[in-house]
Amino acid sequence: MSRPPVSLQTRLITASAVLALLVIGVFVALIFAVSATRTATREETRSRRITTSAIRLEKLVVDVQNGVRGYAITGNARFLEPYKAAVRALPGQQDEFEALASGQPRQRKRAHELNAMILDYVTYFADPVLQFTNRQAAKLASSDEGQRQADDIRKQFGKFIRAEDKLSESRARAADAKSRHAIELAVAGLAGSTVLILLFGLYLSRSIARPVREAADGASLLAAGDLSLRLSERGPGEVGELTRSFNEMAGRLEETRVELEEQNAQLRESERLKSDLVNTVSHELRTPLSGVLGFTKLLLSRDFDSETRRHYLGIIDAQARRLAELIDDFLDMRRIEEGRFERAKELVDMVTLLREEAQLYSQQSPKHQLAVEVGPKPLPVMGNPNRLRQVIGNLISNAIKYSPQGGIVEISAEAENGSVRVEIRDEGMGIPPSQQPQIFTKFFRGDAAASGITGTGLGLAVSRDIVESHGGRIGFTSAEGEGTTFFVELPGANGRGGEQGNSPEQS
Amino acid sequence: MESRKTVLICDDEPALRELIRAALDDGYLFAEAGDGVAALDLASEVNPDVVILDLMLPRLSGLEVLARLSRDEQLRDVPVIVITAWNETREDVLAAGAADFVTKPFEPDRLRKAVRAAAER
Repeated sequence: MSRPPVSLQTRLITASAVLALLVIGVFVALIFAVSATRTATREETRSRRITTSAIRLEKLVVDVQNGVRGYAITGNARFLEPYKAAVRALPGQQDEFEALASGQPRQRKRAHELNAMILDYVTYFADPVLQFTNRQAAKLASSDEGQRQADDIRKQFGKFIRAEDKLSESRARAADAKSRHAIELAVAGLAGSTVLILLFGLYLSRSIARPVREAADGASLLAAGDLSLRLSERGPGEVGELTRSFNEMAGRLEETRVELEEQNAQLRESERLKSDLVNTVSHELRTPLSGVLGFTKLLLSRDFDSETRRHYLGIIDAQARRLAELIDDFLDMRRIEEGRFERAKELVDMVTLLREEAQLYSQQSPKHQLAVEVGPKPLPVMGNPNRLRQVIGNLISNAIKYSPQGGIVEISAEAENGSVRVEIRDEGMGIPPSQQPQIFTKFFRGDAAASGITGTGLGLAVSRDIVESHGGRIGFTSAEGEGTTFFVELPGANGRGGEQGNSPEQS
Repeated sequence: MESRKTVLICDDEPALRELIRAALDDGYLFAEAGDGVAALDLASEVNPDVVILDLMLPRLSGLEVLARLSRDEQLRDVPVIVITAWNETREDVLAAGAADFVTKPFEPDRLRKAVRAAAER
């Protein structure tokens, strides 16, 4: 259409790139989901460790408290054993707890406060017990104030653990949501890729596979000889180009074939004309030759009176002349074929020439009346008088031959716009419209042979060549059954002393 | 003396008709036709003993004249001597019903002998 053509290669690369990006996106989403799940797991583990650590620390604090209280009430030093162990374990447990809780700022702060509270409690209430090992100090440590501090610490632990639980839960939820989103994205991406791949495949099959299939089928048909075949030229980029080139090729092949067929027909026509010519020549030469040879033989073998002898010799003479004319025609034909025609420059008066030719031909056919209609003034042209005489003689001879019923042959000439126009009109059979275009073709004789009209089919071809070599033109009008008028137009020579008539010295 | 035989000469060239007349003996009567149609008309009119037929005739070709003569009940047995310009083969001409044939240019004696043989059949 009117869109600028995008090459098929570009389209395929673009489509493949889009698909690849989509698949990469899907993988990124999946990796993200997996990593989110792993992070959540790690956080949960840590949370569990933090909680465990907090519970252990709380238990140490409880051990301290219970030890102090037990000793204070009973005075039994046995109660101090778990107390001492707890006090020894406390700093390590505290460090571990604070380190674990340092991942989250609020919890770190809480842990730090808790450690401070524990340190405070141990320093002010528990440590004196340890240093003095007296019940007085133990009583002080398990007093209301100490009890309250210990309860505060435990309360604080409860808070811390609940916060850690909440934190862990919310982290798990966030991780779940992230992972769910990522999986949804991946599923959507996969579905999208699948649809796109299907569409891409469909596009490939429609825009490439099908046209290529059609081109292949077309090529087979073409090979089988169906040159009229054309493909649909729709198709992207290179496929469109392929089908267009295919159609162009088919078009050219068809043109070439038509040309070849025409040439072949012309060759066959020319062959036929040549074969016709052989027949014509054979008949045309053999007929006068029969007269010449036959009468000669008779004259040689028998005695005739002098009048009969003269008559026969006259026939021999006429037939021999006809033979000579035929040979002239063939030689002229050769000249036409070789493209050379001598054109002597001489002033020729067409009026005189027409009169002489009419005179000559009027003796040939008693059935025809030759009417010469020319003005008193000469109509000079420059040219070869013998050749021009040949043209006029040929046209008059044709007018007689092609009006076998007889009649008037009208010969006229006049000056017209600086040229001389000669017309020769007969009342004969005329030329059928179908044959008119071929009238000047060498060896073309129409129905003449079948009608028994003699000739070589060369007269008009020779005449046209002569007229054209004189810078003139020849033509005709004809109506079948009514007659034919041939005309010849030659450039006039009035400006070059035409009034003086024939004067060969001037040439 | 038996009656004179009639020879129908069909040729569009007057000079050749004259040659044929001169070549044959004076003992024949002659009828002459210049085209194929005239040849057929004259043949049924004069009922000739021999027909001399040029194959290249105006209006109706010699071969067509030959074919019509051999279809005519009255004329089918009349011997026809064909004159050809060597365009047609001997077989074609004889198959078409000719009794004999001579080629152009012909020997006057050869034609005379052919006509005599045909007339005496």
